[in-house]
Amino acid sequence: MCGIAGRILNAPGKIGRDLVELMDAQEHRGADSTGFAIYGIPRDSGFIVRAMGFNREMLSKDLEDFTSVLKEHGSDLVEDPTWDDSSDRHYSVRLVIKDPADIARWSHDADQICKRLEIQSVGRSLEIIKDTGGAYVVADKHGVRDMVGTHGLGHARLATESDVRPNASHPFWARPFPDVAIVHNGQITDYYTWRNRLEHKGYRFMTYNDSELIAVWVSDRMKEGLSMEEALTRSIEEIDGVFTFMIGQPDKIGWAKDRFAMKPLVVVDENGEIAAATEEQSVRRVCEGEGISIINYDGPGLHGIWGVGNRRAAA
Amino acid sequence: MSDVVIEVGDRPVREVHQDIQEAAKAGSSIVVTDTRSRHNLGVGLPKGCKVRFEGSVGYYCGGLNNGAIIEIENNAGWGCGEAMADGHITVNGYAGMSVGAAMLGGTIHVTGDSGPRAGVAMKGGNIVVEGKIGYQSGFMAHGGKIIALGGAGSSCADALWEGEVWVTGDIEDLGVDAVVTEPTAEQVAEVDAILAPLGLKDTSRDWRRIVAGQRLWYFESRDAKAWLMI
Repeated sequence: MCGIAGRILNAPGKIGRDLVELMDAQEHRGADSTGFAIYGIPRDSGFIVRAMGFNREMLSKDLEDFTSVLKEHGSDLVEDPTWDDSSDRHYSVRLVIKDPADIARWSHDADQICKRLEIQSVGRSLEIIKDTGGAYVVADKHGVRDMVGTHGLGHARLATESDVRPNASHPFWARPFPDVAIVHNGQITDYYTWRNRLEHKGYRFMTYNDSELIAVWVSDRMKEGLSMEEALTRSIEEIDGVFTFMIGQPDKIGWAKDRFAMKPLVVVDENGEIAAATEEQSVRRVCEGEGISIINYDGPGLHGIWGVGNRRAAA
Repeated sequence: MSDVVIEVGDRPVREVHQDIQEAAKAGSSIVVTDTRSRHNLGVGLPKGCKVRFEGSVGYYCGGLNNGAIIEIENNAGWGCGEAMADGHITVNGYAGMSVGAAMLGGTIHVTGDSGPRAGVAMKGGNIVVEGKIGYQSGFMAHGGKIIALGGAGSSCADALWEGEVWVTGDIEDLGVDAVVTEPTAEQVAEVDAILAPLGLKDTSRDWRRIVAGQRLWYFESRDAKAWLMI
């Protein structure tokens, strides 16, 4: 049992604050860890990299090595990195980089030091923040409430299939596809089979979390030419297990539900502003009034896509 | 006697629950306000208790009901009336997944549609849904009746044991080992007797009564495909 949430605003706004509330209302579904995927106002060039280091004492050396790999790929840091100032052994760092010559090749090389510094997300606008603890704990530590953007995803994790570690929590980045993130509630039963096939195609997985698979699975199908709609439909037919997942991209959030209708999805659509969550009490945190129109996507094998309207207008 | 009003808001549900139980002991009629779709409201209420929830409720509302009369103004979340033994629950809207799961007795009346697996593993009592019952409703029900006046979603009455699923309107498709039978006049009269107190009796209905084909009661190798239905 996990809790997931999605939010789309009609114009850039306090997406972080809304997602924190959506997740706090669902903390009882999984208080191991909480995470957020936030789509900020997109950059024209350069990428925002969110990464997690596992030994704070190694921070300078980690960043030095990270930068030297960047330079090998024609890139460099364009802003001073920032990181959390907690006393935890692991640290979360935000870097802004110049476009590498080839994202997939660079991220492959950057992952050579993933045992020390693991990339959590890469995107023109996507930033993934995740950690152990509840929604408010993670929000306070990483300043999530102040993050501005148009849309995003949230996740509260109850670990059932793999261990509890800050980097094993959701959302997952679809390594190496920029700006693609996923949150998932459920269990994938043929996870190892699919993971094995994708690894043979050259994809790399950082955790043993079954949800990490879905992001790459959908992205790989889209790389092969399927539309998101087609990829979502195929995921329902081909991936075995119980799931409701949401996948974020720069201009949309897609979602799909398994054939057994095991995991709920509750949605409020107010003229294109979307609040989606596992539980109704969660969407009520951001959409006020008993009279709001609640859509329960409870049936089997459902999918959908919500577009993101205005990504750049002033809030 | 005027109603006792109990507010939920963001109070701990345990506190709300103690208030409801105390008011029930005093024999008051209770109105619960500002419910915010929160979970576990009105669980384990005793006979003689009368509660109305204003707004929508979350998971397990009216669960383990022991005879209370419960009314929900709007929607109910997952497992409404789960394992209830007796009493009456009215949902004036949509009832989420697994309404009446494993219930033993009493009646749940839903004025809207219900989600997947209504009456899953129910042992007795009645679930009356004025709208459509969702996917796989009646899944592995052991007893009792699910009565749908607005059709049924796919995999209807899947792996039913001894319960009955009654449907008027379209059935998307039947579940494994679900068999449609023509009800006798006596059987229809029994169902009408359940519907009459709800003001829903209509003798012109074209009923389909779905029961177990009993192929899944004992394993036989010729039925292996049905067991591995997916």
